[in-house]
Amino acid sequence: MRDKLRVVSFVLVVLFVSLLPVYGKVYIDIDSPTIQKFPIAVADFKNLGQAPDRENLSAWFADRLGNALQLTGFFNVIQRKTFFEDPVKSGITAETIQFSDWTVIGAESLIKGGFQLNGSDLTVEFRLFDVVQGRLLTGKRYTGKPGDREEMVLRFAEEVLLQLTGERGVFDTKVAFAGKEGNLSEIYTVNFDGSGLKKLTNFRSLTLLPRWSPDGREMTFTSYRDGNPDVYLLDLISGKVRKLLEFSGLNLASSWSPQGRKILLTLSKGGSHEIYTMDLNHGTATRVTSNYSINVSPVWSPDGKRIAFVSDRGGSPQIYIMDADGSNQRRLTYQGNYNTSPAWAPKGGRIAFEGMVGGTFQVFVIDEDGGNLRQLTSSGRNESPSWSPDSRYLVYTSRLNGRHRLCVMNANGSNVRILHEGMGEYMNASWSPHLKLY
Amino acid sequence: MRRNVVLIGLSILILAFGFVMFSGCAKKVVKEAAEEKTTTVQKEAAPAAPAAPAETEEQRLAREKALREAALKEQQEKERMLAEQKAKEALAAAIAEIKDIHFDFDKYDLKPEARDMLKKLADILLAEKTATVLIEGHCDERGTVEYNLALGEKRALSAMKYLVSLGVEKERIKTISYGKERPLDPRHNEEAWAKNRRAHFVVTVK
Repeated sequence: MRDKLRVVSFVLVVLFVSLLPVYGKVYIDIDSPTIQKFPIAVADFKNLGQAPDRENLSAWFADRLGNALQLTGFFNVIQRKTFFEDPVKSGITAETIQFSDWTVIGAESLIKGGFQLNGSDLTVEFRLFDVVQGRLLTGKRYTGKPGDREEMVLRFAEEVLLQLTGERGVFDTKVAFAGKEGNLSEIYTVNFDGSGLKKLTNFRSLTLLPRWSPDGREMTFTSYRDGNPDVYLLDLISGKVRKLLEFSGLNLASSWSPQGRKILLTLSKGGSHEIYTMDLNHGTATRVTSNYSINVSPVWSPDGKRIAFVSDRGGSPQIYIMDADGSNQRRLTYQGNYNTSPAWAPKGGRIAFEGMVGGTFQVFVIDEDGGNLRQLTSSGRNESPSWSPDSRYLVYTSRLNGRHRLCVMNANGSNVRILHEGMGEYMNASWSPHLKLY
Repeated sequence: MRRNVVLIGLSILILAFGFVMFSGCAKKVVKEAAEEKTTTVQKEAAPAAPAAPAETEEQRLAREKALREAALKEQQEKERMLAEQKAKEALAAAIAEIKDIHFDFDKYDLKPEARDMLKKLADILLAEKTATVLIEGHCDERGTVEYNLALGEKRALSAMKYLVSLGVEKERIKTISYGKERPLDPRHNEEAWAKNRRAHFVVTVK
């Protein structure tokens, strides 16, 4: 993938200097059920060099960084027009900032920065301040090309999140999905903020179910390209695709093991729909379930010891859990007549799924012991949930008033935002692991 | 005088040869074997040119007989093709009578009317041994992609099992599921959903 090449070259030219040691205080407890949005101000960046700011990078850096933080759902990014400070008199270091100018507008944190264009080189400094205590929390300096500036912004946004929440966020992740137009669908990815739409397949067929490998370097999907629904493996680094499985009947790769190159499959080669595991290094499929009813959509628990899946053995599709070897199968969901599409939170404990309620589908979350069932969505039809690698967000497909969208919400159902829209239909949302993009 | 005789003999030979050549040209339609025969006759009785027409008559009769036989054959072929055409049309009409069968929401068991339709299909397949069938299983748009792919296949397999129970060889039946991805009616209401929960049959005759 081109991204990787760019990243490597970027990493080589980036010099990053930590100006102060990291502090351990967690400013925002994002696991709290009553989380208040954290007020933060991002000032216009200063041009520290001699070259004129022809592209208005000053506002660009402030806008992009503010936008990235806003997307996390944890911040209230204060509008710049309410700022009190005189940008000409103030600097970007603690000594040159009047912190009372910022507390007066309600900010608890402040980001300042400066940039310097030197020929084809761009150097950018970012600083995060605790406004109440009037001190610097972290500062970074990045050197690269002007084209690397988006990545510089995201790298610093990650720093801000790490400082204030203790977690690095999901800025280096993407979401894969099947985008459908008419009867044809292809696999696409978009960045965590909805930018950078990329088409990964061009099969002009029905192509579905993209699933990331845990290292983010490979992806499985199912396509009707050769007539039958077969499983393909895409190497995201080289871009090469090869067919992995073409048994008669359905070949579906539902998820990867959190550890290693093992996948969970649904195959119907024996006449009934059973769950299999397959080690990609050896290539042998081992059957896990043995039941005449439908068994589909298997996912591993984060420790790989259990598998959640969907079965209609009780007369309607419900979510079941079993041990990884197929033993100890038990039903998880009892409410509603139609519960499918389980997604196990990467940090464990909870399972998101879609369930039918009031004639349509909504996203739910339930503890893995069956308790604490919560409905997270309520308007339109919302399906196919997938967790971010930090378990803080869920991406899902949505249809509201005839419009199809890919949406993201915080894990408690708040802060819904549209990740992508404009395609005929969005299916099989799948959040990537951390991709170490920069 | 002797020289004259030689000359006359030569002339006759040339004439006879010429005649043979001419008649050979005229009988292009006659098969090669007949031509060979003429050549042999000419060799043996070069001076007796008048014998040639008698052979031609014989060939003419043979030719006419061949023509009559060909016409008869052609007629029979025409009748056979007509009958075949009629049978084909009847088969096509019978195949056109095969409509989609429908299912209840989240169900893959066959309804009585689905069984009736499958009996008609089985009759076709039992009568026309070169016919094969592809059964496509489909679902309405509700529920997940994966579950509906399985459900669509269950529907196709239900239809297949019933055909097999009626005596159709399993090898002549293929199944595929498109889940909810190929709706007949793209609307989002009960009427559309009922149409979309179906098994569709594609009959191919060699």
